[in-house]
Amino acid sequence: MAHSRSPYGARRLAIVCFALLLVALFLLPSQIQGLLQYLDGPVGYVVRIPLEAIAFIDAGVADRWEQYVALQGVREENQQLRKEIEWLRGQQSQLRESVAATERLTALLQFKQQALPTMVAAQVIGRDATNRYRAIILNKGEGDGIKPDMGVVTPAGVVGRVVKTTGASSVVLLVTDPSNAIAGLIQRTRDEGVVEGTQQGLAQMKYIPLLSTVRDGDRVVTSGLVGDFPRGLVIGTITRIDKQEGALFQSAELMPEVDIGRVEEVLVIQTSYGQSTKAGASADLPGKPSP
Amino acid sequence: MKFVIYLILVLLLVPLQTTLLPHLSVWNVKPDLGLVAAVLVGLFAGELEGLLVGLAIGWILSLFSAGELWLSLLTNGGAGLLAGFLGRQVSQMTSVSLGLGLLLVSLVSGAFAALNFQHFDGSQMWWMIESIVFPQACFDGIVGGALYWILSQRFDVIRLRTE
Repeated sequence: MAHSRSPYGARRLAIVCFALLLVALFLLPSQIQGLLQYLDGPVGYVVRIPLEAIAFIDAGVADRWEQYVALQGVREENQQLRKEIEWLRGQQSQLRESVAATERLTALLQFKQQALPTMVAAQVIGRDATNRYRAIILNKGEGDGIKPDMGVVTPAGVVGRVVKTTGASSVVLLVTDPSNAIAGLIQRTRDEGVVEGTQQGLAQMKYIPLLSTVRDGDRVVTSGLVGDFPRGLVIGTITRIDKQEGALFQSAELMPEVDIGRVEEVLVIQTSYGQSTKAGASADLPGKPSP
Repeated sequence: MKFVIYLILVLLLVPLQTTLLPHLSVWNVKPDLGLVAAVLVGLFAGELEGLLVGLAIGWILSLFSAGELWLSLLTNGGAGLLAGFLGRQVSQMTSVSLGLGLLLVSLVSGAFAALNFQHFDGSQMWWMIESIVFPQACFDGIVGGALYWILSQRFDVIRLRTE
């Protein structure tokens, strides 16, 4: 292995650069962040090209694997799903009756008709670059009207919320991340609380009133009071109640409704119920995801 | 020419780190290829290039993470700079010594990042160090050592050194 002598000028320059960076980061953090944000947009578009190409190949390989190789146990799963469909058909007819009754009562009480939220469909193209956060990367960003704090869902329930955007991509902090907090509501008891992620990759609902009759199996939905989630989106099902002696509140562990590890397509909520569209997605139909 | 190589390196790191590596993660922990790349560049090309490439990697990867930008800049840029300095002081670099060095750098930067989670209490912080920072540091050390071994076997690697 050959060795060569280093230029001392370069070494000094490196130290000066790093010292300046440290000073700038500690004295002018928002200015540095703002300066780099100007470049985030175009850089995001450039980085998107290799990212989407590899995500496309990755999705293709995963598809082939699931279609041809990982078919063990499909027969049993199929039978199980057929039984579930039968049960759900029964539920559906009951729910239709309930919807009709609700519509009649709504008209009777002259409640204001709520506008459906506007959503944009996006594809998951990656996971957080570090291990410290549970986050996913979407193939749509500021250019598609996505902004930080927007809610992200699938038809099954809540996925998380947007925390960062570039011109062509966005980062979504998952509901299972301990840094995330969403206002939740227990559907049966109507008690409110805050849903946070846990270290085990589940979620927990905190600040449930002590007198609440919450129990295992209760569903937790978004309360719609704080943040960009409309009311009534499913977050998860309670699996364990934690009631400590002398505590002011009780908490509960939740199993998220969405299988976070397998989510591939999501919907980003651009406007919640009754809000005006600010994100420039006027072409999107209310309640219908745009492709 | 060097600029183009660094540009390709930085652009390829993003899909590698965010799309492919999650499939190879062990207990949901994957190596930080950005840190490994910054250290290797610092080692082979000197402090200044290590710092600049580390900063570029830190910035680009922070666009695809929920983490803070300044932390990513500081850890990756600092690792590149440190690798440039320490690399000069070691006369005989082996893949094992590089792996151990990388393990330490990753451990320190990971612990620094964990301390930045202000809403975490002591037990949560310890959980993060025990189940994320330490496994990742081991992973980084192994990947860095293996990459160095492959590079030194295949190419006539020139390393800067203080005489």
